[in-house]
Amino acid sequence: MSEHHITPLKTYLIIAASLLFLSGVTVWVSYIDLGSFNIVLAMFVATVKASLVAFFFMHLLWDDKKNLTMFLMSLMFFGIFVTITMLDTGFRGDLGLNPETKDPINKRAAFYDTLPLTDTHGHPVDEHHEDKDHH
Amino acid sequence: MSENTKQNYLNHPKGIMSWLLTLDHKRIGLMYLFSGILFFFLGGLLALVMRFELAAPGNDIISNEVYNNAYTLHGAIMIFLFIIPAIPGALGNILLPLMVGAKDVAFPRLNLASFYIYSFGALFAMYTIINGGVDTGWTFYTPYSTQSTSNVVPMTLGIFIIGFSSILTGLNFIATVHKMRIPGLTWYKLPLFVWALYGTSLVQITATPVLAITMVLLMLERFLGIGIFDPALGGDPVLYQHFFWFYSHPAVYIMILPAFGIISEIIPVHSRKKIWGYKFIAYSTLSIAFIGFLVWGHHMFTSGQSVFSQIVFSFITYFVGIPTGVKIFSWILTMYKGQVSFTPPMFYALAFLFLFTIGGLTGIFLGAVALDIHLHDTYFVVAHFHYVMQGGTIVAFLGGLHHWWPKSFGVMYNQTIANIAALGVFIGFNGTFFPQFLLGLRGMPRRYATYDEQFVELHSYSTFWSGILGISIFIAVMNLFWSFIKKNKVDPGSNPWGGMTLEWTHTSSPPHPHNFEEEPVLQHGPYDYDQVIVEKTYKK
Ligand code: HEM
Ligand SMILES: [Cu+2]
Repeated sequence: MSEHHITPLKTYLIIAASLLFLSGVTVWVSYIDLGSFNIVLAMFVATVKASLVAFFFMHLLWDDKKNLTMFLMSLMFFGIFVTITMLDTGFRGDLGLNPETKDPINKRAAFYDTLPLTDTHGHPVDEHHEDKDHH
Repeated sequence: MSENTKQNYLNHPKGIMSWLLTLDHKRIGLMYLFSGILFFFLGGLLALVMRFELAAPGNDIISNEVYNNAYTLHGAIMIFLFIIPAIPGALGNILLPLMVGAKDVAFPRLNLASFYIYSFGALFAMYTIINGGVDTGWTFYTPYSTQSTSNVVPMTLGIFIIGFSSILTGLNFIATVHKMRIPGLTWYKLPLFVWALYGTSLVQITATPVLAITMVLLMLERFLGIGIFDPALGGDPVLYQHFFWFYSHPAVYIMILPAFGIISEIIPVHSRKKIWGYKFIAYSTLSIAFIGFLVWGHHMFTSGQSVFSQIVFSFITYFVGIPTGVKIFSWILTMYKGQVSFTPPMFYALAFLFLFTIGGLTGIFLGAVALDIHLHDTYFVVAHFHYVMQGGTIVAFLGGLHHWWPKSFGVMYNQTIANIAALGVFIGFNGTFFPQFLLGLRGMPRRYATYDEQFVELHSYSTFWSGILGISIFIAVMNLFWSFIKKNKVDPGSNPWGGMTLEWTHTSSPPHPHNFEEEPVLQHGPYDYDQVIVEKTYKK
């Protein structure tokens, strides 16, 4: 803690280059249709970039390990929040009593008018899709 | 006494600016205490208005609309303006640096900033009152909260702002515990109140940002029509409840953990016995803080969430009972074969043990999904959370005030009146809220201004005793403040309960502006009553 870590310029440049490269990756994968996996991939790349910034530019890697612990904890709590919430949204209507409530998201919402409709597994839903083409 | 000890933080420096711009944690704590108690009375007044409306069926005093505003404001004020900020802000601020032997918290300026951020947020909340109120309930559930024409925006904005104050205080306390302890004061020698504040702070900095995000999302939907919670826009209304309770269940531990800490201080001191199971209590604080993050869905058993997650949430909820039970048993075993003295703080601690146990156990009932489907949104839930929040947190807060009053302000209150008021609080509280368990079991729903004939008897009991409860709390608080006015000063060196922690043994009452005249040297652990004899000294 008492001695100050001085990062060589080369490290900064390498990290900057990787950030630019990863930005390119984000743009590039957005052109590939991976279904709902697109968002997972985009979030993953963004997380890697944010971590690089935190570790190198913000010196978390060389800092007191308590600060690193705090950072990892925040990622862990975010993970808990998303995962457990998915236990609900991923299984909504699992009692199967009411098929109407099976899907948490209203696919007839105005928001989806511009997007091809998909079922919960990301496969296109045909009847609706065709409806739209013939408009 | 040297000239130096006549100076204390209350009389030095002087002048209103020296208070408004103070960086002294004790003065900031005092400002939190006054504002907290002010809001406590405001919230309490609203509660009494509701109770009198409910004394008989029908709309006798206020209309349905006014009733909706009254319970929303009561809940929001009590939770966001009083309970959450007041214990860490008031008792935590005054005591934490004293207990670790420090001159102040780690970031004194940030501490003052927290207080002003809190006041600024409170202004927004108060604005809603003069502007016609809010009627969504303190939980702001969608879709109603995105449609209601009442003051949802100023209120949520106020809560958003107060959240930052909470985060900054948490950060400050964590840094203080890590960095400001005197040499030799290792983790296991810390008073348990410090552990409790540490656990609370961790929850504050990890959970509160989610509340802030929730409030932002609510406004994004209201103003920009971005579909997050509204199904017509492609959102999911139940998602709001996930967001809200991901903060608000941990928030109930922000409310109760400091209370646990207070009880862990009061019981050994007033039983003159080493605390039983120090490490158990310390670690149960951390495990409650952690498990508290995994159970939020037990507030949503009737929201239409998946059965799979209901089972998971119900199962994990039971685990909260384990560390909580560990604490209760440790406190009881601490009293066993001790020299229990029935001082006002001890009265409150005993009341806490009764009331919190009832509150916690009924929480486990509600955590059972099959039972909760029937009890959700009934008076059973209302009774449960008042037993934990008022019977637990507020009773512990009153106990803590009575315990540290002579230390913090150098004056002693009338102990007989304090004991009578404490008894009044205990009886009045049970009289008010126990009938509500029965009401809930018989199907009385919460948040209604009127009800069926069959509930009259229990409701009128509850109203009657709520009057006694209100009067008792008023007497208890006035008795404390009266000691100021009467200038019933204690000797600066006095240790009326025989405490062993640094704030009792190494500084005067009220403390010196810089806490300690010289850096204290630790001579014993916080509860070493088995090794060291401490004199109770109480001189006027
Ligand atoms: C022993 C641990 C506890 C358990 C297992 C527990 C369980 C529960 C459950 C299952 C509910 C939902 C009931 C329903 O809405 O149907 C609930 C509500 C509530 N609990 Fe607890 N609880 C515990 C301790 C606490 C503590 C310590 C506090 C606060 C200091 C607290 C405050 C609340 C509040 C405010 C509500 C009602 C929220 C609302 O809907 O307005 N609980 N509790
Ligand atoms: Cu809860």
